[in-house]
Amino acid sequence: MRTRPITPEEKARAFKPTKKPDVIEKQKLDVRYHIEEFDTGDRPRRFLEAFAAILKHTNYGLALDHFIRMSAKCSRCATTCQVFQATGDPRDIPCYRSELLLSVYRRYFTVGGALRGHLGGGGMDLTDEKVQEMADSFWNCTACRRCTLECPSGIDHALITHLGRFILSEMGMAPRALVVSTREQLEGQTGNTSAIPVPALKDTLEFLEEDMLGDKGVEIKFPMDVEGSEYVFFPAVSDFLMEAETLMGIAAVFTATGDSWTTGTGYYDGINYGLFYSDRILERVVKKIDAETKRLKGKNVLIGECGHASRSAKYFLPAYCGGDKAFPVINIMEYTHKVWKEGRLKLDPTIVTQKVSYHDPCNIARQRWIIDKPRELLKAFCPNYIEMTPSGEDNICCGGGGGTVSIDEIRPYRTTVGGKLKADQIRRAGCEILVAPCANCKKQLRELVEDQKIPCEVVGLHDLIYKAIIFDKPTAGSATDNQHDKKGE
Amino acid sequence: MEEFLNFSRGPLFRLCFAVMILGLARILILDIWAAVMAYRKAGDKTLPWGLIISRSLEWLFPAKRLFHNRPVYSVFSILFHIGLILVPIFLFAHVQLWQSAIGLAWPTLPYDVARWLTISTIVFGLALILGRLLVPSASFISRKQDYFWPLILLIPFVTGFICAHLSIAPQTYQFFMLVHILAGNLIFVLLPFTKIAHCVLMPLSQVVGTLAWKFPPETDEAIATTLNKKGAPV
Repeated sequence: MRTRPITPEEKARAFKPTKKPDVIEKQKLDVRYHIEEFDTGDRPRRFLEAFAAILKHTNYGLALDHFIRMSAKCSRCATTCQVFQATGDPRDIPCYRSELLLSVYRRYFTVGGALRGHLGGGGMDLTDEKVQEMADSFWNCTACRRCTLECPSGIDHALITHLGRFILSEMGMAPRALVVSTREQLEGQTGNTSAIPVPALKDTLEFLEEDMLGDKGVEIKFPMDVEGSEYVFFPAVSDFLMEAETLMGIAAVFTATGDSWTTGTGYYDGINYGLFYSDRILERVVKKIDAETKRLKGKNVLIGECGHASRSAKYFLPAYCGGDKAFPVINIMEYTHKVWKEGRLKLDPTIVTQKVSYHDPCNIARQRWIIDKPRELLKAFCPNYIEMTPSGEDNICCGGGGGTVSIDEIRPYRTTVGGKLKADQIRRAGCEILVAPCANCKKQLRELVEDQKIPCEVVGLHDLIYKAIIFDKPTAGSATDNQHDKKGE
Repeated sequence: MEEFLNFSRGPLFRLCFAVMILGLARILILDIWAAVMAYRKAGDKTLPWGLIISRSLEWLFPAKRLFHNRPVYSVFSILFHIGLILVPIFLFAHVQLWQSAIGLAWPTLPYDVARWLTISTIVFGLALILGRLLVPSASFISRKQDYFWPLILLIPFVTGFICAHLSIAPQTYQFFMLVHILAGNLIFVLLPFTKIAHCVLMPLSQVVGTLAWKFPPETDEAIATTLNKKGAPV
């Protein structure tokens, strides 16, 4: 799928500087996102120190060695990348972006590069300008990993961008929006990225419970702190503020099946910005999930509708918390699909009659993890389901991936450049409802359809399930009540 | 001339071929060793073998994604590679040389097939260079070696074709044969140290990419200690 490059006017809007000149002067860095104040002295040296420390303790060296030996510069990734297709700027070619970091690796961490560096008279040396270029370039990427899929040499450009952001963050050069949220999550009073205190959480959920009783005439509960539950629930915490319907859908499914699940008041945030900018943060956040599940003596980690939260738990809980002894991680869509297959969930196919389509979040589809399950569910109760192409593992990114959606100051960039190809795709599909089971995708896609004026509503999968769910019997004495009894024991 | 020709296809060839074999063995062993070490360091030892194997095969026998992006380039590139791999290994004249030298022989390409493969390699090789020059997204990221390699790879094909198919004077034949052999030797020597190393590394790419995402445990503290940042706030 191709798109036309943006016009000069669109470009001016997308890349409009948001910062005052004196801030740029102070940071000696003109990137589009805000950065907190940091030590601006001797950046090349500090970059290399951080790079060396990371290489020493991680497995990145393996990939970098492999990639510098075989990168053939075929430029196939260019035609895959939605950012390059929109800007037409060759500096947005994934292979070019990767080369920014690979050239540093080659120059400073290989024998041949060191030799050539000395003979070449400093032309290959890392300079302040190169650091600046990386800081800019690495955050143009939405880390959707489509380029990796199309690279004949199997070069993982997303891995290189991920590493580049990690190195920059060790120098204090990470987007402020992400750092501030993470600080609250790891060191703040509330312990979550949206800074929701426990009393507010409880109020919200009680309010939703009342709402659902009114809606459905059924008592649907959000069990809190129930020890020994089958599933300990970690949604993207922002869902408690912004995605009430998704949460209500999930609670409704559990009420229908009677399985035990719980939200822990010790920690209830699935968001892990570490996946976007720092492995050190990734590790610390993953460990919080592990600790809370242990505290509640839960059996499985259940992640809500969120792509990056699912991926960071599924792939990194085993990495940091005991390998095959780590808690199994499942995404809520896997659970809902399972109980629907078992016949424990009934959905009314006459409720959602609009044209519905499904957007694959990159973080759960690119590695072929969850692709068919939500589709089977949707087809079961949405008679007007339509498919977008490309989809599944080849799906086009919403344009807000890799943490960029949380950086509010770059919204014009996200909706004019990052999401352009997606906007074209949605327009062509002509769907009235777009299901995007990911907190990041939902926020980005809503902003995208608003800015690009596409008449389409963006919802979560469980928003629709909430509408269509059928309850067999009154819930007096149902599983949720049993859970409350257990809590009282 | 005669002596130099014999030297080139005798001792010089043996030296260059040995450099290639040892060089490729070196990077292959280094790569596998690094992969094993990464696996041992990784906190999560489960590897998605089904996905790794299917994606590796997708690229070793590229058909699935051929037409997704840059279809013309992709098809040209594959046709170029087919001749590039098959002709040097399975040409009757080459196999004969191996047989007389070490007594080993293997099946060979029919004369006509070899001829057409040689022509297609030359044509598509030139087309690839042209494409690299003319497509802005390709020329922007190209290095010197990206233009140099298809050119130098074509020399043995062009000279070999001339020697095999044109009726030329013995002197001229010897000259082209010498260029053919010297260019071949140069390729052997350079191959392990340049991007052409992908001829042995490519099958490992998917494993390497997967292993690099398998992070070792307790890296937070280790990196913080190395950078003197232990206990520093977020």
